[in-house]
Amino acid sequence: MSRIRHLAAPVAAAAAYLVIAAATPAWRQVLGAVFPGESRLLYPDATPLALVWQHLELVLISSALSVAAGLALGVFVTRPAGADFYGVVADLTNLGQTFPPVAVFTLAVPLLGFGLRPTVLALALYGVLPVLRNTISGIEGVPADVLESASELGMRPWQRLLRVELPIALPVIMAGVRVSVIVNVATATIGAIAGAGGFGAPIINGLVNLAPAITLEGALLAAGLALTLDALFGGVERTIAHRERAAATAR
Amino acid sequence: MIAIRNVSKVYEGTKNPAVRDLSFDVPTGEVVALIGPSGCGKSTTMRMVNRLVEPDSGTISIDGEDVRSLRPETLRRHIGYAIQGVGLFPHWTVAQNIGVVPGLLQWDRTRIAERTHELLDLVGLDPAVYADKHHDELSGGEAQRVGVARALAADPPVLLMDEPFSAVDPLTRDRLHAEFRKIQSALRKTVLFVTHDMDEAAQLGDRIVVMRDGGLVQQDTPERVLAYPVDDFVASFGGTERALRRLSLAPVTEALYTPNTAGAEGPSVASTASLREALAIILKAGLPSIPVRDGDGAVVGAVSVESIVERFRRPLT
Repeated sequence: MSRIRHLAAPVAAAAAYLVIAAATPAWRQVLGAVFPGESRLLYPDATPLALVWQHLELVLISSALSVAAGLALGVFVTRPAGADFYGVVADLTNLGQTFPPVAVFTLAVPLLGFGLRPTVLALALYGVLPVLRNTISGIEGVPADVLESASELGMRPWQRLLRVELPIALPVIMAGVRVSVIVNVATATIGAIAGAGGFGAPIINGLVNLAPAITLEGALLAAGLALTLDALFGGVERTIAHRERAAATAR
Repeated sequence: MIAIRNVSKVYEGTKNPAVRDLSFDVPTGEVVALIGPSGCGKSTTMRMVNRLVEPDSGTISIDGEDVRSLRPETLRRHIGYAIQGVGLFPHWTVAQNIGVVPGLLQWDRTRIAERTHELLDLVGLDPAVYADKHHDELSGGEAQRVGVARALAADPPVLLMDEPFSAVDPLTRDRLHAEFRKIQSALRKTVLFVTHDMDEAAQLGDRIVVMRDGGLVQQDTPERVLAYPVDDFVASFGGTERALRRLSLAPVTEALYTPNTAGAEGPSVASTASLREALAIILKAGLPSIPVRDGDGAVVGAVSVESIVERFRRPLT
C-alpha cells in the first residue's frame, strides 16, 4: 500500500491533465475570455487531446531511444573494455547537446524525409547526454569497497553490474532520465517544423497567422505535459527510494 | 590446508617485490595470523589465495588442489572473505547481504532464509531485529558481525580475514575477538587472518607468521614468537611488554603446583583462566599465592608469583 502512496497524486494529476485536454469547448471558452474579439481560438487541424497524443508519441519514442543509448554507453564506458572510449563518448555526447536540434532536423530531412523520423532522431540525440552523464556518475558513485566485495564474494562481472552497480546507481540514473524527458517535452515542439505534429503545430500556426490564442493553446498544453511527467517521475523516484527503506522501517 | 609454496609477486611499475619466495602452511582447522607492518605484503599474500592477485611464480593450493585449476569466481564462492571495510551492499538488507554467496551458489530460498537466521544467531545478532536492517542503520561492530556472517554463509572450509576487526572501538573489538574464538572453536575453519596488531594475532592465532618486505621472518606459536623473537624487528613488533602479553597466552595450569599451600579460603582462580588473570587476582588480593579451583569448585592446587616466574624461566617447547 505505502509503495503506491507516492504515485497516487502524480497519477491523479496525469488523469486531470488528460480530462482538461479533452474538454475542447472549455478551451474555446477560456481562450475566448483571454483574447476577446479573437475569432481564431483553437488550432484548426487537431483537437487539444489529439495534439497530446501526437506529442507523447514523439517524446516517448525519442526518450526511449535516448535512455537506451545513454544507459548502454554509460555502462560500456565504465567497463574495463570500454574505458578507452570514455573521452570520445563524452565529447560526442556534449556535441550532441550543443548542436541545435533545428539544425539536426534540417540536415536529417534529406536523409529521413519529413515527419516523425527526423524529429525523433534529433530529439533522441539531444536527450542522450543527461542519461549518459547520470549513468556514468551513478555507476562511478558506487563505493569502491562495495565493488571489491562483490568480486571477492565471487560475482561475475555481469552479476556485479546487474545486482550491485545498476541498483545502487538507479536513483541517480532516474534523475537523469527525468531531466532528459522533461527537456524533451519542450524541445519536441520544434518537431512541427518537420511536420511531425505535436504542440509545435499550434505554436507555429499561431505565430505564422498572428493568432496568439492558438500559440497559447500549444504552450499551455506543453507546459502542462511537462509538469505532469515531472510529477510522475518524482513519484517513481520516491517509490524507488521508499522501496529501499520500506523493509527497514517495517518493524 | 592452505599451502603457499615459493610464491613471489612484483607489481607492475615497482622495483621491489611485494612478496618474495614465501612459503608457509595454514593447517586444516587452525588460525594462522599473518602479521607485519604496512606494505609488508601480507594483504597481497591473502589476495593471492582467492586470486584477487595472481602470483608471478610459486603455487598456492587448498587441500591439495591448485587454486589456478578453478575459475576465480568459483574459487571465491568457496572461500569466506571478511575485510576491514566490510563492503556491505547498501541497497540490500542484512539478510540479503548474508545470503549473497548462497544465492550465487543457487541455494533455494527457504534454505537461504534458514541459513541467514542461523548465522545471525551465531554472530550474536537477533534475526528478528537485524534481518531487515540496512547498512546505514548498523553500528561499526554490528556491520563487522554481518561481514563475518556473510563470509561464513555458504559454510566454506576456508576463511580469509583481512583486519576485519580493526575499524571498531577497542571494547567492541575485544568482544568480537571473544566471539570469533568461540565460533572458531565450534566450526574449526581453516583461517588465514591478516593483522598488524600483535595482540590480535596472539589472541586469535594458533600460529603467527611474521612478514617484512615481502618475506617471511618468523613463524611459530604466539607465545614462542613473543618469547623467542628471531631478531629485533620481531621483538619490536611484540613491544616492550611482550612478556606481559605472554601471560594471557599461558593457562594457569602451567604454573599450578600441588599441594595447595594457599589455604582454601579467600580469593581463588579458575583452572581455565590465563596466568594474566591469576596474576591480577594475586596482585589485587595482596597475597603471595592463591588456590586454583576446577569447574566443580574443588581446589586442585595453587598458583603463586614464584610459580609464575618459574613458568617463565622454563624454556618453551
